[in-house]
Formats: sequence, C-alpha cells, structure tokens
Amino acid sequence: MDPLKRLLTRRRSLSERVRVLESEIQECRQLNVRLAELCDVVTELLLPAADRDEAALTEVLERYRADIGDPLAR
Amino acid sequence: MSPTDAPRGSVTALEVDDEGLLVRGAGDGPVDFLFGDQRVGSFWLRRDTRPEGEWLRYPWPATLRRFLNGVVTVTLADPADGTRWTSYDARLGSGEGTVEVRDAQGHALALDKSNRLTRLFGDRDAAQLEPLLDALEVVIGALEKAGVEPFLAYGTLLGAVRDQDFIGHDSDADVGYVSRFEFPVDVVRESYALQRRLREMGFRVQRYSGLGLKVILEEPGGTSRGLDVFGGFSRDGMLYLMGEVGHPFRDEWLHPRTSATLAGREFPVPARPEHLLEAMYGESWRLPDPAFKFVTPVSTQRRLNGWFRGARVGLDDRWARSRAGTLPPERTGPSELVRWVAGQEPVLGTVVDVGCGRGSDALWLAAQGARTVGLDYFPPDLRRAVRRAERRGVEVRFEWMNLGELRSVLGAGTWLAREEGPRIMLAHHLVDATDRRGRANLVRLAKMVTRSSGRLYVQAYTAPTELSGRLGLDPVDAEQLSELVVSSGGRVEQVVELGEREAGMGEAPPGGPPVICRMVASWTR
Repeated sequence: MDPLKRLLTRRRSLSERVRVLESEIQECRQLNVRLAELCDVVTELLLPAADRDEAALTEVLERYRADIGDPLAR
Repeated sequence: MSPTDAPRGSVTALEVDDEGLLVRGAGDGPVDFLFGDQRVGSFWLRRDTRPEGEWLRYPWPATLRRFLNGVVTVTLADPADGTRWTSYDARLGSGEGTVEVRDAQGHALALDKSNRLTRLFGDRDAAQLEPLLDALEVVIGALEKAGVEPFLAYGTLLGAVRDQDFIGHDSDADVGYVSRFEFPVDVVRESYALQRRLREMGFRVQRYSGLGLKVILEEPGGTSRGLDVFGGFSRDGMLYLMGEVGHPFRDEWLHPRTSATLAGREFPVPARPEHLLEAMYGESWRLPDPAFKFVTPVSTQRRLNGWFRGARVGLDDRWARSRAGTLPPERTGPSELVRWVAGQEPVLGTVVDVGCGRGSDALWLAAQGARTVGLDYFPPDLRRAVRRAERRGVEVRFEWMNLGELRSVLGAGTWLAREEGPRIMLAHHLVDATDRRGRANLVRLAKMVTRSSGRLYVQAYTAPTELSGRLGLDPVDAEQLSELVVSSGGRVEQVVELGEREAGMGEAPPGGPPVICRMVASWTR
C-alpha cells in the first residue's frame, strides 16, 4: 500500500477508535446514576419491605414516590 | 482582561418589521432592545443574527410574537452603560393600539437568557424582592441543616459580588454547594437524601438531574418561583458544578466560606468568589452582558451529561414547544389503539396508560368501567387531565412518572403491581417518543405490573412520515422492540402492521404503507 494511503487508513481507524472509546467512557459514566438509583431503591424501599408490615409499606411506598418528584403537589 | 478587551459591538442603523430587527453595526457583543423605555431583551450583534443583504437580521423570538401588534418605538442600547444607539418607530401586525409586553396583571415582562418571558428583577421594587430574599435565606438555611454548605451561585453570586444586588436582567436566584463526596455515585445519593430532607421540611422540590434540584416557593399573589440548587463535587484539583462548570480549582477558594451582601442582606459565598465567577463566566465576568451564553467546553458537557443527566429525554423540548404554543393539538376522543385493546380484552381490571398526555384514552377507559391509571412526565398535561376527569365526574388516577428515572419506574411498578387484576398496560406512541433507556424501563415496568395478570399493548411508528415528524416521534425497529421483550423473559403474542389511517393517526387515505406497528406482549412468573 502506498504510504499516503496507509497514513489515511490509519487516521481513519484511529478516529473511529476514539469515537468508540468516547462512547464506552460515557457508558461507564452513566453507571453512576444507575448505581445511585439502585442503592436508593434498596435502602429506601426494599429494606422496609423486608419488615413485612403491609400498612407501613404502603406508607413508605407513597412517601418514596412523592419524594422522587411530585410536580402535581401544591 | 481589562474591560476594553471584552467583546463589544456598536449599532449604527436599525429597521423593524414583523420578522424582527434589521441592524447594522460594527464588532460583536451584547445589545439591549427596548420597547419605549422597557428593556424587552438582548442579543449579540453577530452571534445571534444572520446576514440579510446589507443588514443583520435578529428574528423575533417565538415567545414574543403574540405581543407584536400595534405601534412601538424600538431602541437599541449598550447594556454596559445604557448609551442609546438608535431608535425606530414601527407599526407591527395589524397596527392597532400600542405594543405592550406585559402579563395579565400589567407587570412588564422581558426575555431572560433562555428567551422565556418573565418578570425581571430590574422591573421590581425592593419590597417585591423581600419574599425572594426571605426564600433564599430559608433555602440556604435548609440546605445547611441538611448537611451541605450552600453558597450563592451563577447570576446571584455575580450580582452580589459585582453590584451587591440582583442583576436587573436576571429573573431567578441560584444556590450551589460542593459535595463532601468525590465520586459521582455518592454525590447523586447525597442529592437524593437532600431532596428527601427538603421535602420533610415542607418544600416542593423538582429534580432536574442526578445533581440539580429546584426548590419551589409560593410567593404572594399566588405565583410560584423556583430556586435552582446546583450541586457540585471536586476531585483531583478539578471542580465540577452543575450545570456549566468544570474548572481547575483549589479547595481554599471554596473553604471556609465567607459572605457577601445581596440587596442589603448577607449570604454565604465561596472563600474566593472571584475564582468561581471566572470559572462560570470567563475572565470578563465583571462586564454586564444580558445576552451571555455559556460556552462550556465539550469535555465538561460530556462529563456532566454522563455522570448526572439523561433523565429528561424530550421534556425540555416539550416545555419549549409548550411555551411557544407550537405543540400539536391534542386528540380529544379515544385512540384507535385503546378501542382495539378494549375489543381484545374481555375484562378490563386495572388499565395503566403510560404516557397518557391529557388523558383522552384514560378518560374513555374509565367511562368503560376500568380502574384506570394515567402516567405522564409532563406536569401541564397531567394537570389538564386531572381537570378533565373532575369536569366529567370520572374517576381516574393521574400520577407523575418519569421513564428516564429508574427510581420513579420501580416506585410506580411496586405500587401498580399491588392493584387489582387483571392489570393491562398501554403505551400509545410512547416507545417512539423516548430513548433506549426509556424503552428498557417501559418493558421493566410492564413486566412488574402485568406479569401473570395481563398484557402490554404498544403502538409505535416503524417508519417516518410527515405526521410522525410533526409529532416529534422517532420511528423504532419492531424487531428490536421484540428482542427487548424477549430478553426480559416476556413473550410477544401479536404484532400487527398498519397504515396511518388504520392506526388512527392522521387523515391519510386508507390502505397506506405499513408505517405503524402494534405489539402485544406478556410475562409469566
């Protein structure tokens, strides 16, 4: 392959690798919110559910949902 | 940077028509435009205009257009010192009366930096700002109590440091804090806990991202005002603060906090606020620029997006279109999908309409005797749905849920899985309005709610049309959707391909190409 063509091909493949790397990094970053959400559900919802107190659980669930975001509340 | 080095423009000529302003001038920099003596907005001479012959065209922002009927004297002025460059007497629209940019109570309105019409601080007297100062004190006190160290941020910090007052062209108050944690996951968890504490204290709170909150306060006269609370964290000599900062920063520039005067009261600010202002507004932060736009580096945007954002897919666009009055008109009767579902299901126990909009399908289902729940993430639509149900005397539970937030989805799923069966779920043009995460969360929700009880019914575009474009829908691949269901342990019971007319979308003639699919899925334990 002539050197210029080789250089161009290499540049193209490098920029493609950078693009893929960037999206992989972004995927890793996105795990932060995901993990935070899961921890939150486990500590706030799943642990109270383990107590098997139906009335308390209903209250916990309603409060949990309202705490996340309740734009209709006035 | 000295003031003379800051970007400056000057205006030499102005004409005004129904399309906008035609301006001539030199350089580039902020320009205020006034109607009479009222500042209505600001723009940058070149950045915010486009060439039109010998002129530069600044088109009227969509939010302003409904006021542009009548005569008006438009003046262009220098925001730095108020110098009036030039004026033009215009007759706009039908030309009757005088152009007045005011709200229903007669308060002068102006465009803020996001081109939203609001009452700005410059148009309010000191007494009117007292409730906001009170609110700032309350929110800052609450944040302290909740365990973080808040300080004035963005425009509010700029006003306090530069003028010891609110900036006249600003319309809101911002608060920031820097987390004591140094990993985004812990920073987000702290923010969730903070939201709960604020709610316990009786505040209404909206979440904008994993690290951005708005605390809503009711003001006299029934209006509500939001205080933005921007979280941040620092690690390895870098400070990241929602929503625009990623800057090398020393801890001693933040701690210990000091205080600054804002409209006669003392508020906490970082130890060296000038460094934070430079990180926020660049080196020329001392010069007034009402049309300032953040030029956040792409790498900072990517970081903040990746760590904290992604839960508001389509929502900001929906708000913008709602404010500009360009949302497509809502269907008033039931959709073809919901009629079809009613024909397929002999017993409608509990039906959950996800992405219910203004509730047309939910109201119809309730009238058929189903226990109905409508879920949506756009508060104005939900409020309208609630009012419609009240007017008709129909019982429907309309609730807020955001498919982009796993917590919201799992919370709703846990609640709905306990409702009476059979439980059926509808998603009418939802999977083509959300993203991959939203689709995965819909399937997760459907599995939680309908498993061994009912089915999920989906209708979505699979190919673009003129109407799908107008509705802002993004066609999906039916096979990928099937795979999503199957990989979650579900079964695709039925797939029907339809033309737009058959699917009840638009007025196209019958027998058009199959551009819409209906899918029925179920899960068993």
